[in-house]
Amino acid sequence: MPEGTPLYTELTVKEFVSYMAELKGVKSKPRKEMVERVLSEVGLENVQNKIIRNLSRGYKQRVSMAGALVGDPAVIILDEPTVGLDPKQITEIRDLIKELGKKHTVILSSHILSEVSQICERVVIINHGKIVAIDTPENLENKTKEKDTILLTVEDPKENMKQLQEVVKEISEVRFIKDNEDGTKQYAISSSGELDLRKKLFEVLPKQEIVIFELKKSESTLEDAFIKLIDTTSSKQVEEPSKEKEAQKAQKKEQKAKEKEEKAKAKQAKKEENKKKGGDK
Amino acid sequence: MLAVFKKELKSYFLSPIGYVAIGLFLMVFSLFFYLTTISQRMIDMGNLYFNTARYGLLIIVPIITMRMFAEERKNGTEQLLLTSPKSITGIVFGKFLAAVALIAITLVISFMYYIILCFFQAPNIVPVLVMMLGFLILSIAAISLGMFASSITENQVISAIITIVFLVIPWFLPNFGDSYTLIDLMSSYQKFPAGVISIQEVVRLVSFATVFILITIMIMQRRKSVK
Repeated sequence: MPEGTPLYTELTVKEFVSYMAELKGVKSKPRKEMVERVLSEVGLENVQNKIIRNLSRGYKQRVSMAGALVGDPAVIILDEPTVGLDPKQITEIRDLIKELGKKHTVILSSHILSEVSQICERVVIINHGKIVAIDTPENLENKTKEKDTILLTVEDPKENMKQLQEVVKEISEVRFIKDNEDGTKQYAISSSGELDLRKKLFEVLPKQEIVIFELKKSESTLEDAFIKLIDTTSSKQVEEPSKEKEAQKAQKKEQKAKEKEEKAKAKQAKKEENKKKGGDK
Repeated sequence: MLAVFKKELKSYFLSPIGYVAIGLFLMVFSLFFYLTTISQRMIDMGNLYFNTARYGLLIIVPIITMRMFAEERKNGTEQLLLTSPKSITGIVFGKFLAAVALIAITLVISFMYYIILCFFQAPNIVPVLVMMLGFLILSIAAISLGMFASSITENQVISAIITIVFLVIPWFLPNFGDSYTLIDLMSSYQKFPAGVISIQEVVRLVSFATVFILITIMIMQRRKSVK
């Protein structure tokens, strides 16, 4: 399913899917039944006689997917399937992709990393045409997670956070992150060794007259993993960056995870199937 | 090939292009019918077909062929065709035949001029059929040129311009002798309007068409393997 849903907009949905089936060599006898099956799989029965030009973006995406599905392929490649859709449509397409993953091998190319980590079993990250990482989303997130860091949002009128390290010996670092608008402050607490300090902090902080608003383990998302991996490889490749370039790079690092990197593209997740793969091929 | 043919022909009639092409073509036919037959008060079907071919094909063929490959390229639907297991030859021929079918439909409708003349005195039908056959073969050559022009660009207008220019230039070139006839399609449509099937003309037109069809196939084949 190519990017940007190329379609013959003057045809009806059924005609288009039928044409795709013909192009893929499906014989005329099984074709009709296959078209109907694909249309129901993708949820297009209601609009099958509508002209594609008149459909909404979400439906057009589904038509393109249906076109890719006919012929019962073993492997389906989806290039940016949820671009330009509203949240409801995105959820529907994602569920559809998950369903497809049960019977076919699905290769998904996307910039929306949250989607990738939700749907895919394995992730391949490519930068400058080279594979940077192949792993499951969880492993990638774990690799780049800041180990055992706890994020705290507290109200600290007496500035007792600075003494926290003396009170709780296991803490290796108390790092101030920012001041929030409602007067609370955010800190990151790292511990030496692999301890979960949440319980201890929960007990200790009130005694220090610090009010806890939020206490959680630091999570790393796939975006963070992506940025870290891309940056390490780009910095290896760039030999003599000018000062300007370095400043720009630093700016980008500080910004929140962006979906599109100028140079890099996040790619593909493989879903490996043990069940039977598609029929004819 | 059949799949592409059916779909392309259907597409011609789902958009205005099919109707406009046939309508305009018949308008040119009618114009020359009036000029050659009615105003001169004589029956000269040969002149009719010759002039229509000269001026009509010039306008109509670019219109029909300009979107053949250029639109696919621009839309991105080219990928859908190139990733099909069907051969490129089949796809090119499917589109080609759809365009030829459009001209064939026009020719069938143009038969009405003959029928009109029958009210007065039925002209000899065999020469008329020969003229129509020649017209069809000539249009095959012109369409192959237009198809080639469409396959080299993604801009439909450029493709149309290329086709028009290469159909018109021979009018203005001085006669270079034999080699000239290779570029000038109309010089291969001299004997047909006289009601004579000349093997030379058939061969010239068919080989012209073959060359351009083959070039188009090669161009598309290259796109397929590069992608």
